[in-house]
Amino acid sequence: MSYDIKRSVSLYSYQDEYYDKKLDLEGCLRETAKTGATGVELLAEQMIRRFPLPIETEEFRNQWFEWLKKYNLEPSCYDAFLENHLYDNRMLSLGEQINMMKRDIRLASLLGFKNLRTLVSTPMDVIEGSLEYAEQMDVKIGLEVHAPFSLNSGWADGYMEMIHRTGTKYFGFIPDMGIFCRNIPDVVRDKARRHGASEECIKIVDDAYAQRIEKGFVKIKYDLNLGKANMDYRMANGMQEMMDAVKAAGGGPADMEYAGSSFTYSWSDPQDIIDNIDYIFHTHAKFYNVHEDYKETAVAIPEVIEAFKKAGYKGYLSSEYEGGEHLRADMPVDSIEQVRRHQEAMRRAIEE
Amino acid sequence: MAGRQIYNPDGFKNIEADGKTVGYQFEFKAQYYRGITLSIVRDIKINVDGEDVKREDIRFTVNNETFTLEEMRTVIDSDYRWEFGDYATVSVMKEGGLSKGNHHIHAVQVIDPSYMPFTIEAVCEADFTIE
Repeated sequence: MSYDIKRSVSLYSYQDEYYDKKLDLEGCLRETAKTGATGVELLAEQMIRRFPLPIETEEFRNQWFEWLKKYNLEPSCYDAFLENHLYDNRMLSLGEQINMMKRDIRLASLLGFKNLRTLVSTPMDVIEGSLEYAEQMDVKIGLEVHAPFSLNSGWADGYMEMIHRTGTKYFGFIPDMGIFCRNIPDVVRDKARRHGASEECIKIVDDAYAQRIEKGFVKIKYDLNLGKANMDYRMANGMQEMMDAVKAAGGGPADMEYAGSSFTYSWSDPQDIIDNIDYIFHTHAKFYNVHEDYKETAVAIPEVIEAFKKAGYKGYLSSEYEGGEHLRADMPVDSIEQVRRHQEAMRRAIEE
Repeated sequence: MAGRQIYNPDGFKNIEADGKTVGYQFEFKAQYYRGITLSIVRDIKINVDGEDVKREDIRFTVNNETFTLEEMRTVIDSDYRWEFGDYATVSVMKEGGLSKGNHHIHAVQVIDPSYMPFTIEAVCEADFTIE
């Protein structure tokens, strides 16, 4: 099947340089263009001060589109955060949440985005209540499928039912490639070592992860109580046994942390992409560490991109670097180099 | 090798008012990856030299506007977000401030992004000197 796989960078990737004020918004766009990517994904709340006011002004929008032209970038996806726990004493009402979602759809549209990422915590009613507006504004709402969630699962079925019932073309999934981790990223293991984890405990955790892959991950169920769904998922995937083994081996805080963090990663069959391709219009190409030889240490980039090709995917793979959080407490982070390597790794997998 | 900078190294100082030292202040960045409304900063816990600071003695300043932690619960104005990568100034009301010399701070930022099943509790520690 013919495919059209394009490369984008999520500016989330450059958060450490932005934090240190080495890059500003324009600097991030410049770096994105240098990697050869043609798309840009934006977290407006991360890099636009006084959110959302500037987006309402022509002055800012003119600047934004001038930059996109200058760096030959196309807006790929707008990452929204439905802040429905804005106040500590209550959740926003359904109507308030729908209004917030509509605001974000409008902001996305003002900046030229056709896709909006929403998070797994977005209630179904809020999505359904925003569909008509999304269609009117021609912005698709994509639900991020991030570990521990996965496609072809009881959790995804809940949304699939809604898609079929409403017949909407304006809602789908944004898979996060962290659901295709062959193993726990090396930067996480190295951090555990720096914090004093023992090789014995690390092996117990790595073996348990390998076993989860071998047996197949027990998938997460649909439950509005995400904390409960997550805990049930962990237990079903052998968390108790692994924790007991780590404890029995004399595991301390660093060992327990490494064991717990292993559930941040999961392995889905890349076939899931092919099965769900009609509902995928954007993808977070999550990664943790790409070495000089362009090998990602955890995410199975070539296999997953092969599945996207087979499926005939037409859309962006957007680099989302998340290794920095395992380095930044102890050492500098070079997101610019990481993104460059990741883009090259994807280019090779797409073109070769 | 050094990790990221959380506190402004030049931000630790006593606060003078009407010729008296009424407290001390420091500046730090939110340990999260986007700008946030102050309403989702659920708490700032501070311990200096082993002594806990009372919640009501804390003042939080962004963009030249100062709030108590209690007031922050309802602050959602765009002009007063804790912008990503920007320092917020935290003041502690304490008669006499801190003594000249070396001190240690252990602060916790409690931030509650709505999509997370648990709040972020970022521990921020540093040694500093009051001159």
